[in-house]
Amino acid sequence: MAAPAPTAPAPTGPAPTAPLVEAVGLARTYGSGRSSVVAVHGATFSLAEGQRVGLTGPSGSGKSTLLHLIAGLEIPTGGTITWPCLAGAPLRPGPVAVVFQAPSLLDPLDVVENVALPLILAGVGTSEAREAALAALDRLDLDRLADRLPGELSGGQAQRVAVARALAGRPRLLLADEPTGQLDHVSGTTVVDALLEVAGRTGCGLVISTHDPAVAERLPEGWVMVDGRLDGSTGREPGQARSCSP
Amino acid sequence: MLALIWARGLLLRRWPRLAAAAVGVAAAVALLGSLGSFVSSSKATMTRRAIADVAVDWQVDARPGTDPVGFLDDVARHPGVRAALPVGFATTTGFAATTATGASGASVGASAGSDSTTQTTGPGQLLGLPDGYRSTFPDELRDLAGASSGTLIFQQTAANLHVGPGDTIEVTLPGGASARLTVDGVVDLPQADSLFQDVGAAPGGQPSAPPDNVVLLPAARWHQLVDTVAVAVPGSVKTQVHARVDHSLPADPAAAFSVESGRARNLEVALAGAGAVGDNLGAQLDRARDDALYAQVLFVFLGLPGAVLAGLLTAQVASVGRDRRRREQAVLRTRGASTRTLLALAGVEAALVSVAGAAFGLGAAAIIGRLSFGTAGFGATTGSAVGWGAVAAVTGAVIATATTLVPAWHDARSTTVAAGRTSPLRPRSPRWQRYGLDLILLAGAATVFWLTSRSGYKLVLAPEGVPQISVSYWAFAGPALLWSGAGLAAWRLSELVLGRGRRLLTVLVRPLAGPLASTVAATLSRQRRTLARALVLTALTGSFAASTAVFNATYRQQAEIDARLTNGGDVTVTEAPGVTPPADTAARLGDLHGVRTVEPVQHRFAYVGTDLQDIYGVRPGTIAARTSLQDGYFQGGTADQLMQRLSSTRDGVLVSAETVKDFQLLPGDQLTLRLQNARTKQLVPVMFHYLGIVKEFPTAPKDSFLVANDTYVAESTGDSATGLFLLDTSGVAPPTVARAARQVVGTSATVTDVTSSRKIVGSSLTAVDLAGLTRVELGFALALAAAATGLVLALGLAERRRSFAIISALGAGRRQLASFVWAEAATTALGGLAAGAVTGWALSEMLVKVLTGVFVPAPSHLAVPWVYLGTVVATAAVAIAAAATLAARGARRPAIRTLRDL
Repeated sequence: MAAPAPTAPAPTGPAPTAPLVEAVGLARTYGSGRSSVVAVHGATFSLAEGQRVGLTGPSGSGKSTLLHLIAGLEIPTGGTITWPCLAGAPLRPGPVAVVFQAPSLLDPLDVVENVALPLILAGVGTSEAREAALAALDRLDLDRLADRLPGELSGGQAQRVAVARALAGRPRLLLADEPTGQLDHVSGTTVVDALLEVAGRTGCGLVISTHDPAVAERLPEGWVMVDGRLDGSTGREPGQARSCSP
Repeated sequence: MLALIWARGLLLRRWPRLAAAAVGVAAAVALLGSLGSFVSSSKATMTRRAIADVAVDWQVDARPGTDPVGFLDDVARHPGVRAALPVGFATTTGFAATTATGASGASVGASAGSDSTTQTTGPGQLLGLPDGYRSTFPDELRDLAGASSGTLIFQQTAANLHVGPGDTIEVTLPGGASARLTVDGVVDLPQADSLFQDVGAAPGGQPSAPPDNVVLLPAARWHQLVDTVAVAVPGSVKTQVHARVDHSLPADPAAAFSVESGRARNLEVALAGAGAVGDNLGAQLDRARDDALYAQVLFVFLGLPGAVLAGLLTAQVASVGRDRRRREQAVLRTRGASTRTLLALAGVEAALVSVAGAAFGLGAAAIIGRLSFGTAGFGATTGSAVGWGAVAAVTGAVIATATTLVPAWHDARSTTVAAGRTSPLRPRSPRWQRYGLDLILLAGAATVFWLTSRSGYKLVLAPEGVPQISVSYWAFAGPALLWSGAGLAAWRLSELVLGRGRRLLTVLVRPLAGPLASTVAATLSRQRRTLARALVLTALTGSFAASTAVFNATYRQQAEIDARLTNGGDVTVTEAPGVTPPADTAARLGDLHGVRTVEPVQHRFAYVGTDLQDIYGVRPGTIAARTSLQDGYFQGGTADQLMQRLSSTRDGVLVSAETVKDFQLLPGDQLTLRLQNARTKQLVPVMFHYLGIVKEFPTAPKDSFLVANDTYVAESTGDSATGLFLLDTSGVAPPTVARAARQVVGTSATVTDVTSSRKIVGSSLTAVDLAGLTRVELGFALALAAAATGLVLALGLAERRRSFAIISALGAGRRQLASFVWAEAATTALGGLAAGAVTGWALSEMLVKVLTGVFVPAPSHLAVPWVYLGTVVATAAVAIAAAATLAARGARRPAIRTLRDL
């Protein structure tokens, strides 16, 4: 299948200070031949620090794949994606953090160990990582759960811990893949509150994929995925921002 | 319908789990089936061996007054009888011989003339053998010297009378008649016990020993001498018919005994009181069937841990998938599945595993049986073959049910849907831990061991040295309790160390995990139950492999020692009674190709009180090394220590425990023996000093004997002649050296070799060749070691693919991911192998100790097959390394793909 011309979403709202991600004609196809599935098709966009995006679309439209491409968890099969302000170091653990839809805490580690793990993987000392993890938990009012095991948490608590884990490393780009998908309304609201609060406080970029309109409405920008195409989205045209914040 | 859909789904999507469980079940089934094949082949060996050991199948005693010709005809025509010959037995009042001084030997009674002495004996037996007897019953007599026909004299009688071929003896018969006979040959009577049995007497009413004085004559000559006596003193002469019967008997000793004893009883009925059957073949088969029963228990006992391990392995494999099964069950329950439906679906899995496992297991057992034991059947009879096969298959089904259906039933009854979606990481201690079952089992093992060891069961020797085994079956409980107790104790200990010793664990895993050490240690600690199970499985497999290998190696070692003990050396040259070998015999034997050393040993007889015993004159400085004397041959010191004592005490003597008890001897006590002076032929008292106890000695009889310095014996008897030469063949085949030795010593000496002795020593049980079973057991142990380590680790790691994918998604590098994998592998392997080594050592010690009865002689130390044990460790290490490498590679797979697939 030939890739269509890349879209260049028109910038709206306050201009972000620096581009974190730039993609041109980004594509991801699974399989080959007749059985191939095009998950993302010709997506062109940029993401900047401080930008908060709600990525919506029906199930199977490619939202998760797009987030995974942005996080570097998937390798594109077409187009290019770059992280101009994040070059020189691994994306994860580091400047990019992901909150997954499914439970993603490690069962054998307690809450604080789960939260500290990305920091330790990034080379932070154990004690320092633990302190940072406790601080992250404290920020989300989860410090009382520090010693619990994932199996002893409710779904909402587990997802908030996952948010805390994502935040503990002070990411510059936070990606949340349907973080409320398996939660009830109250728990989901708490998780989104946490994400927005942290993004607002730290100034990191934030993309939340969701098919819950109520969640999308809480974000200043909205990108829509339909059949793998990024459509009607907001964002910055690639190449417009030129200075990276420290 | 649902069951079919479920079965299809399992076969298509969960086949690795099913295959792994089926392999575990197949291993148990194959091991049990192989044991059945082995027991069946060993029973057949026992039957063959029992039959081969019998020189004369039946000795049919004719009642006085019976027509001998008609009686012989009745026996010969009886169904199943292949050959029948009449043998005459006549009681003599004594034998006498007059010999010139200078001949060697010992005498019962002797009077000396100026240049000659006359020896006399007490009552004896004069046998009349018909033509063709030697060829019909070749094992009844063994030629030692001279001709093999004519007037033959029993070797002990020849020794008593100091006669050999060409000498003249005088026989005195009841009523006073006497006759002079010229000795044509000296023979041994290996089956003297049965030959002189009191046919028809109750088992306890048999004479304690056969007669010492026996002369055998051709039937015609015998009739010339005794026919008149038979009339004058009727009770002194009798006729027996010796018969050889059809040996096509069932392979199972019990069935063979039943058939054979039935035939013997049938003959007695047919003879209508005219005769009684001395059923030697039946008696031998009777002993063999007892041995067979014991062998069955023993070999099943030795192999059973393997089947249990296979069951545990299957349980471990099944438990690895339990979380996923729980989640599947939770999904089904949310869709409205009832407990019955859940159990039915679990039953489908159990049935698939059972059928596949039993089919593969029985097929493998048939192949193993054919290759190792020469039989693809699982039993000696059709019934037992079907029984073994059924037991093996049912065991497989039980394992599959216990590992799949029971946990599903437990989960369905006790786990909520929500709980089913998660796995418990803070589980309560299991009941057995709370109640201290492991400690109870270990205490039980120690108690049983103490009780059974204290009772001192061991080989019970019949009066004339027919070894019979008498071992307490209760003793089996000791090793069984130890094995299970040690397994549970290893579990408790590993949970304790993993749970409470996280700091220690952090230090230990740091070389593998670096900065991640504390996180990895936390992971290991929280998964301690899973890890403990894998570790215990490794430990139990290791201990099974170690104890089986050590037991089998010790068994082989003792069989070799037994053969050497019986034969004396690799090759043994025994001079015939009355023959003095040339002085350079030792040197000429030493010059033979392949002979490393020649150890000369004097063999004499000495009276200890009224008891005539063999006395061996040895060179204590060299015999220990040249004949591999074992510490177990002696009591109160090692072989070296006692030989040193003998060396430093010129008139020292080692005696049997029975002699020590009879004479209340203490070390250093003076003991007066009577030995024959070579010149005067008179028995002279010789003073010795008691130094210690000897239980076994090369070529010595199983009952009492003495060991002393050869220089002192030679000096005391005026005779330095050597009767025995023990040759060490430095790796050259003993039969080859034996053939060469025969060329040197001619017909005056008997030459035997250890290779041939191996085939004739021991009971029917120890004659069973364990090589096939050893190969099978050790092969299974090796396979189980690989499975218990590599397969279990691989499955465990595969089950945690999601965790590794999450860690990867969080940004872990390859080395960081690998550190989780390798730390788990190292914990399981090192902990399991260490626990296995300790348990294996303890189990080996206990097994050898409690099964002392099957070792002849008792081992003084364990034989450790280091090469095999090294192979087990290497196999486990390779399996673990392979599993960890595959898991580490799998963890590098794009995390999102893994998370999506899972």
